[in-house]
Amino acid sequence: MTLVPLPAFIAVSATLFFIGVAGVLVRRNAVVILMSVELMLNATNLAFVAFSRRLAVAGERGSVFVVFVFVVAAAEVAVGLAIILAAYRNRPTVDVDQLDEMKG
Amino acid sequence: MDVLGPILFAFLTLMIVGGGLGVVLAGRITTSALLMAFTFLNMAGMFVLLGSETIAAFQVLIYVGAITVLILYGVMFTPQTPRAYGLFFQKQTPWGALVAALAALPVIVVAFSFHDAASLPAPGGDLNALATAVFTSFAFPFEVASVLLLSAMVGAIVLVKREPASRPPAAPPDPERPV
Amino acid sequence: MPVGPFGLDPLVWAIIRLIVAVVLVVALILNSSLLLIYLERKTQAIMQDRIGPYHTGPFGLLQTFADALKLIAKEDVRAGQTDVAFFIAAPALVFTPMLASYVVLPFAPPLVGADINIGLLYLATLGSMGVLGIVIAGWASNNKYSLVGGLRSAGQLISYEVPGILSLVTAVLVVGSLSMVKITESQTGPITNIFIIPLAFATYLVSALAETNRTPFDLPEAESELVAGYLTEYSGMRWGTMLALTEYGNVVVVCSIMTTLWLGGWNGPGVAAVPILGVVWFTLKVYALILVFMWVRATLPRLRIDQLMSFCWKILIPVTLLNLAVTAVLLIAFPTTLLPVAIANWILLVAFVVLLPVLQQRRLRHLRARLRERTATASLAS
Repeated sequence: MTLVPLPAFIAVSATLFFIGVAGVLVRRNAVVILMSVELMLNATNLAFVAFSRRLAVAGERGSVFVVFVFVVAAAEVAVGLAIILAAYRNRPTVDVDQLDEMKG
Repeated sequence: MDVLGPILFAFLTLMIVGGGLGVVLAGRITTSALLMAFTFLNMAGMFVLLGSETIAAFQVLIYVGAITVLILYGVMFTPQTPRAYGLFFQKQTPWGALVAALAALPVIVVAFSFHDAASLPAPGGDLNALATAVFTSFAFPFEVASVLLLSAMVGAIVLVKREPASRPPAAPPDPERPV
Repeated sequence: MPVGPFGLDPLVWAIIRLIVAVVLVVALILNSSLLLIYLERKTQAIMQDRIGPYHTGPFGLLQTFADALKLIAKEDVRAGQTDVAFFIAAPALVFTPMLASYVVLPFAPPLVGADINIGLLYLATLGSMGVLGIVIAGWASNNKYSLVGGLRSAGQLISYEVPGILSLVTAVLVVGSLSMVKITESQTGPITNIFIIPLAFATYLVSALAETNRTPFDLPEAESELVAGYLTEYSGMRWGTMLALTEYGNVVVVCSIMTTLWLGGWNGPGVAAVPILGVVWFTLKVYALILVFMWVRATLPRLRIDQLMSFCWKILIPVTLLNLAVTAVLLIAFPTTLLPVAIANWILLVAFVVLLPVLQQRRLRHLRARLRERTATASLAS
């Protein structure tokens, strides 16, 4: 069975990561920014798993890191949504351009 | 079976990249959320292709089953008005796209400098190896991760909990009082 | 070139096998849903001292077939303001994970779709995917009752997944495998897991009732408060897919999980000689559990949403966590025998069953006292 080479997986991972970066930079809706961050985290997961399965030196460590990324992603989305809801309660908007009270 | 791997890989890549672009470009936020779940599902397919079924199962369990639903909650608790003007005319768009593209190019070039190891890890389930690693060499980080989750939970609850009203609310009707 | 069965190319054979399996499973789900709805109506009728459906066919057996034909023939109605794409996608999003669950169910030694080594994790994963479709259905219907029903359902399903998976983990600790076939094979004797870890069975039963939206946890579709929850705007076969097929399909799946993990799956007299006989034993055990579900439905009233949530987070999750910790410690302390685990589990079960009403009554007394106090001060102030 021909294996898909490692660089292909890494390239897909990098593409998805930078799609997420572009989403964070471009979108103004706080919830969509959170989604883009999740995409970035997931892209790193793919790189971790690919290295873990295809580089003998990495061993299982990559997969273990993915488990920790899951934990961080879950914590991040819970706290992030809580912050969005708290901010929404103060000013009824989820547009990050309009949340500019701290601007001097 | 020779062709199946690359074909699956190409299909999953298309779906992942398309889904990711959809999340960023979609006009309606519910579409974004669903496309995100779709991207995560295809990512799980990628993990299976790499031989990590356990990670794939966790991926679906956590990302599709929990995180997407949480985000949908967030979508439904905040008003979602469609954008006033297209993404193209936003002042951040050209700069954002440019920065992302410029940063992506070197990384993708670097990606092709890696090569598969001469001796690949044994194919087959990754369950035992993963569990052993988590509970032996990584036991301490694992415990720390649980503390992180706990603090995130407490933090989220504290953040969204409403301040108690200064005036006590009217007493609810007594269930035992005869009407 | 390798040659598969019947002299076919393995790739062609794999596709044929896939098509046959999918057709078989869809037929199984359709027929078992029809049968289960009939059974449900009959058992409810018997318990409420009625006759139930009896007009169509012998003993009313064809009633649900007639209902299904009516549903299929119905006009596909869609309210004006619904979100078309999501509205159509939601039933599929709910139905597909349930359909995929049947791949790993071990019906009999020669009748297992796929014996993957993470079978139970796979089932838990698919169980968590159905939530998405329900939330989307509530959102797409553009109706406040649907939205509240969908959000309630998501909260309920996500919350009750935790004790459910913790109970499964307890059972997996005892068995030592996630593969459904290996779990079944570990319980060949008359001592199945239900005698060893009864508390895990009880907690899983409760969370399974909640995860399949069955009474007393059928709040998302509580007709007296929410019209029909996320199903309000659905009709015809879309409604049939979401409610009838998916709900009863899910009931079959969770009952199969319980059968495999705690009741010994296909094991029974005569299976060693005639392996296909396992289907009979498996089906009998599953239907016995389904009858328990129906019995619960006929007996218990529906909970309130705050009771539902506080029961899960304040009672069920601590109990399952305690059970898991005790089981793990005892398994490490006594690696050769399961007797200490069994004793501890039975003690915990008895304590759970006895202490729960006592604690609940104390809490209610306390709440009522506080309420009286507050009413007294309120009337004094006015």
